[in-house]
Amino acid sequence: MKKFAFALLALSASVTTAQAESIIVLNSEDASYSILDRATRMEVQRLPLGREPHHLILTPNGKEVLLASTFTNELVALDTRTLERRYVVRDIIDPYQLGFSPDGKWMVTAANRLDHVDIYQTDGYKLAGRIFLDSIPSHIAFDAASRTTFVTLQESGRVAALDLATQTIKWNVEVGKAPAGIVMLPDDKRLLVALTGEESVLTVDPKDGSVIGRLPTGKAAHNFRVKDNRYYFLSNRVGSTVSLIDTQEMKVVASIKVPGGPDDMDITPDGKELWVTQRFLRRIAIIDIAEMKMIGSVRVGKSPHGLIILKTDPAAVPNKLRSASIEPSPK
Amino acid sequence: MHWLLDAWIGTQTWLFETFVSPVLFHFNLMEWFDDAFDAVEFFMLGVVQILVIALLMRPLEKRRPMENVKNRRLPAVDRVYTVLSKLGVVPLVVFVIAYPITNEIELQMRGLGIAPPRIESLMPWLHDHPLVTFLIYFALYDFAAYWIHRAQHGFSWWWALHSLHHSQREVTAWTDDRNHVLDSLLVTLVLVIFSQSVGVQPGDYVSILMVGRLIESWSHANVDLGFGRIGDRLLVGPRFHRLHHALGTPAEPRIYDHNYALVFPLWDMLFGTARYDRKARPMGVEDPAIDADNDLGWLGQQVAGFRRFAAAILPRLAG
Repeated sequence: MKKFAFALLALSASVTTAQAESIIVLNSEDASYSILDRATRMEVQRLPLGREPHHLILTPNGKEVLLASTFTNELVALDTRTLERRYVVRDIIDPYQLGFSPDGKWMVTAANRLDHVDIYQTDGYKLAGRIFLDSIPSHIAFDAASRTTFVTLQESGRVAALDLATQTIKWNVEVGKAPAGIVMLPDDKRLLVALTGEESVLTVDPKDGSVIGRLPTGKAAHNFRVKDNRYYFLSNRVGSTVSLIDTQEMKVVASIKVPGGPDDMDITPDGKELWVTQRFLRRIAIIDIAEMKMIGSVRVGKSPHGLIILKTDPAAVPNKLRSASIEPSPK
Repeated sequence: MHWLLDAWIGTQTWLFETFVSPVLFHFNLMEWFDDAFDAVEFFMLGVVQILVIALLMRPLEKRRPMENVKNRRLPAVDRVYTVLSKLGVVPLVVFVIAYPITNEIELQMRGLGIAPPRIESLMPWLHDHPLVTFLIYFALYDFAAYWIHRAQHGFSWWWALHSLHHSQREVTAWTDDRNHVLDSLLVTLVLVIFSQSVGVQPGDYVSILMVGRLIESWSHANVDLGFGRIGDRLLVGPRFHRLHHALGTPAEPRIYDHNYALVFPLWDMLFGTARYDRKARPMGVEDPAIDADNDLGWLGQQVAGFRRFAAAILPRLAG
């Protein structure tokens, strides 16, 4: 009866808006991904995927979202409108984190277990260069000109800057304990680096990697999500909090408890809600951004990691989507 | 069932966030953050297994014993083995040694772009039947475990270690974990590599291990209960497995070279090692040097087992 009521609610939501919002979550220890419906806050489907899927990303044209499975070395592309599987990109080795340069020409992957960073030409996903680095390459950022990519090296406490065109190391410097999340601020002159082994975020000069500032945050500062040009959300995994950072004043302006090792985050298209993976609780927390208050959570699979919120066409999304990891497809 | 899952995960998260994650953070061990969370679940499952043995299997052993217990002192050491094993002390030691090896194999495979095959790739319909998929992986795992068990009896150096498990004269539900640490290490290494190569998910591996170990504890129980004529051929129970622990006699030499299967007797039936009868036999091994384990505590047994192992392997190494 409860399910029927939710289904009615979902149906009415889709009829009135003609566009739904779906959240895709990668369940990293279940080899699956969940599709959630924002209106009903329910898991609609759970589908299998290659082993150890951790992160996902929109393609530069926004038509597909790539789900990266690290153990099976593949990217599964889903149509962002219908959520149907479009193709699989094979032989992307250990794609733990991945990012596209702002100009869309380069795709960079961090091979977390194999200690290298791969730079691909987006067109055809052709490997341009592989750069071996210190241990545990983790998160990725770019400069605005798409000349440089910045990668945190979590276990070795370093950040490296790599030239995209030549696939060479520009600099590689030690910054602090377990650097993870990294973002370039809109001024293109400051990198923010979250230290998971500490309780702070560093401001780093992208020219040479020198540390130019430190902001105390929460225990095990880990990952960022941009709110707007000025404010950034930060998840703190041991502190189990999400902080809101004002990057102009460089101070934490709000903080909220999000239990269960909060990690990746995304914001709903209307800017009202922040959805956060709760790795340990197998849930996705929903935060009202205006109130900075947790207003709900949705049950998903084991160790949910990456997530993305998409505007989908409810009429086009099939009732039962095909499994996503079983058929070979051309690169 | 959602409330049970929520309670379980909530307890796991609380234990982790209260006791484990602050320690990892303090000692800058954050790269083990997610693995340590899984280890907490392993610990919790161990507690549940100990409770099941103590509260369900032991009362049954008292009520319907297959053999009368002659020496109540002997199973005491097996309780030490069980606590050390189920609460993660021995598995942690095994993990610390085995991880660099299995991790290197995994990295090499990844580096070569070799993704282990998955059964679901061959049979896509399995995607919609997780229980069937789990049972297939379970059967594969048990098949590997059957052959490892035969190797434990077949190679003299491995028997030198494994005989510690067989030396118990009073086999009870606690006896399953009575193993030499080196024996556990070898078995773990082979099973993890096998599981990696057939694509068992880490989450499934823990479930297989936990369900399997519970069945194995039950199969060691001194209980005169079976699953019926058909059931006894589907699942290993005490009658089937206790024959595997029976003392060899001139009439039945090396009777323990039967009924190797840990969970599914099918393997013994297929490979001609199954033996079904309900005769009560004394437990243990006929070799007095191995039987002497019964006079020793945990550490003494480990030392004795290692000495037997060294005596078996050194002449080979010396050529």
